[in-house]
Amino acid sequence: MKKLRVAIAGLTACSGCQLSLLNCEDELPRMLELFEFHYFPMASSPALMEGEYDAVLVEGCLSMPHEKELLQELRRRSRYLVALGTCAVCGGVAALRNGEEREQLRQSVYGENQVASETYEPLPLHRVVQVDAAVTGCPPEKEELLRLLAGLARGVLPVAIDYPVCTECRMRENLCLLTERSALCLGPLTLGGCSARCPSLGVPCEGCRGPVPEANLAEALEIYAEKGFDKATVRDRLRRFCPEWKL
Amino acid sequence: MSSYRKIDILTRVEGHGSVELIRDGGRVVDACLHLSESPRLFEALLIGRRFDEIPDIACRICSICSTVHKVSALQAVEQALAVSISRQTGLLRELAVQGGQIESHALHVFCLALPDYLGVNGIQGLAAHELEKLQLGLRIKKLGNLIQETIGGRAIHPFNLIVGGVGEVPGSEKMQHLKDQLAGVRDDVTASIAYVSGLNDILPPLSMHPACAVSGGPPLFGNCLVTSTETIAANSAAAWLDEQVEASTHAKVSRFGGKAPFLVGPLARLTLAMPAAYAHYFTDTSIRSATKARVIELQLAVERAQLLVDLLLNDGLEKEQPVVAIAAQGEGTSVMEAPRGVLLHSYRFDDRGVCRAADIITPTSINQGAIALSLKELIVAMDGAEYEQIRAAAEILVRCYDPCISCAVH
Repeated sequence: MKKLRVAIAGLTACSGCQLSLLNCEDELPRMLELFEFHYFPMASSPALMEGEYDAVLVEGCLSMPHEKELLQELRRRSRYLVALGTCAVCGGVAALRNGEEREQLRQSVYGENQVASETYEPLPLHRVVQVDAAVTGCPPEKEELLRLLAGLARGVLPVAIDYPVCTECRMRENLCLLTERSALCLGPLTLGGCSARCPSLGVPCEGCRGPVPEANLAEALEIYAEKGFDKATVRDRLRRFCPEWKL
Repeated sequence: MSSYRKIDILTRVEGHGSVELIRDGGRVVDACLHLSESPRLFEALLIGRRFDEIPDIACRICSICSTVHKVSALQAVEQALAVSISRQTGLLRELAVQGGQIESHALHVFCLALPDYLGVNGIQGLAAHELEKLQLGLRIKKLGNLIQETIGGRAIHPFNLIVGGVGEVPGSEKMQHLKDQLAGVRDDVTASIAYVSGLNDILPPLSMHPACAVSGGPPLFGNCLVTSTETIAANSAAAWLDEQVEASTHAKVSRFGGKAPFLVGPLARLTLAMPAAYAHYFTDTSIRSATKARVIELQLAVERAQLLVDLLLNDGLEKEQPVVAIAAQGEGTSVMEAPRGVLLHSYRFDDRGVCRAADIITPTSINQGAIALSLKELIVAMDGAEYEQIRAAAEILVRCYDPCISCAVH
């Protein structure tokens, strides 16, 4: 069987999405049989783009001029482009102060020096290229990543998840941290698919998978207000991973 | 200088950087390291956030080092707010950090560095030509992740480690499983030491840099930095490291007050406190021995993890609520050892517990001076060699430092 040619690239991020792939220790040898990870600078040399790709998985957001060129080049060469992880899908942690004066933020770290002055406010991939599929999460779930790769091997893209973290949390019969413990749990507004990983250990959802489609923000804000969380607190928490929340 | 060419992207390292080789006619005469990763400006992102958010955000600096960033940030926050954690929480955190050490070292040795010794391109080449060796490394790596998952709830960005304690204390069944798995991996680690210490060196020996490491606590933890001649308290460490902004790199560079650059990381830790049983592996302590240092540290980490698991099992793993932290004005600084060396997190909070100042100093940024000197020395040692040979050796040399560029730039 012909191996699928796949490119894996990282932009502005922590490499956690690429590491999630390398963390599939049991599956990695089989994966390397099915796929040729041709361009994968984190785990293969040299970093040389060549020919066309069946799929490219891109981690991270865009915040430097050359990243845009790299992304467009990958897009041109690939049949499918998959946004891997919350930074690629929504902007992620790096974008949590988007909307504020970038130069001021830069100077607070580097001072008057011009270092990194060419960098700009982090953008998710869809602002620059067409994205064919997304695997969200900070980090993404290993199972979701494996499903994506298994699908690609069969020539299909994963079905997008459309339910919130709460759905899986209820299925696991967890105590509701928001209603029972008055914790600022973002489960109602956050895209599911993680089996409610954090609330299952009693830790409130921090929204790391980004917004669920058609989130009922107004209703959630009412519940948060009842529990004593003002709008600014909820907004700051939601924007930890996704600057595009409007409230 | 008539021409120069960059190694376009450093590969098989975490993050984005390059080495610039400067040529005069046909000769390579100089080499410079550029850590060109885009800064996420973490120190700015943290300002204005409440104390309990700091560790959750700060751990996103890096995936490979996320557990140690999390624990380091927690320690700094708890110090600032005068929170004392339980013995059980301390042991669990220590175990999680050892798990991170195991995962990181196994990843570097078997997935990133080994291809250099075997002349293959990376994991793909290893799978095709040395599958057994790759699987040996992956088994050890998996154990490191299992430890991090058991305690942190997840191998990357461990959410179960929170201010004052843990979300849910892992039960004794899970801990017993770790005990069994740790016992099972001992043979793999022994085999790794035998295998890696038998690999032929691929770089010339280079001068050793003075070493610096954290001291004053359990392995990888402490309250000060030590060198062969000095002890620096945690709250003076940032001043001693003396980070400066330089034009050629997005990572601040430690200047050590004008002294020669120090090395941090596995080789530095071992040379400062060499266990007698391993001294014979290090007749050569130049940076090319760093891969060997990592497999020795794999052994030390597995031994320590076994001890910690036994302590936790003997104590009985009690369910406990995290210590409640009360927002207050304060400052805290944590120094500890990440897999790549000294890591510092320092925060100041106002009376509402909101972060007003943040300073994070990471091992790869500290190591930049040492890497730069090693590169220059390599160019001299290889004078007359073909450009492509020098280029390949320069990349291997940088890889010996196992740079984590997301950490360095953050």
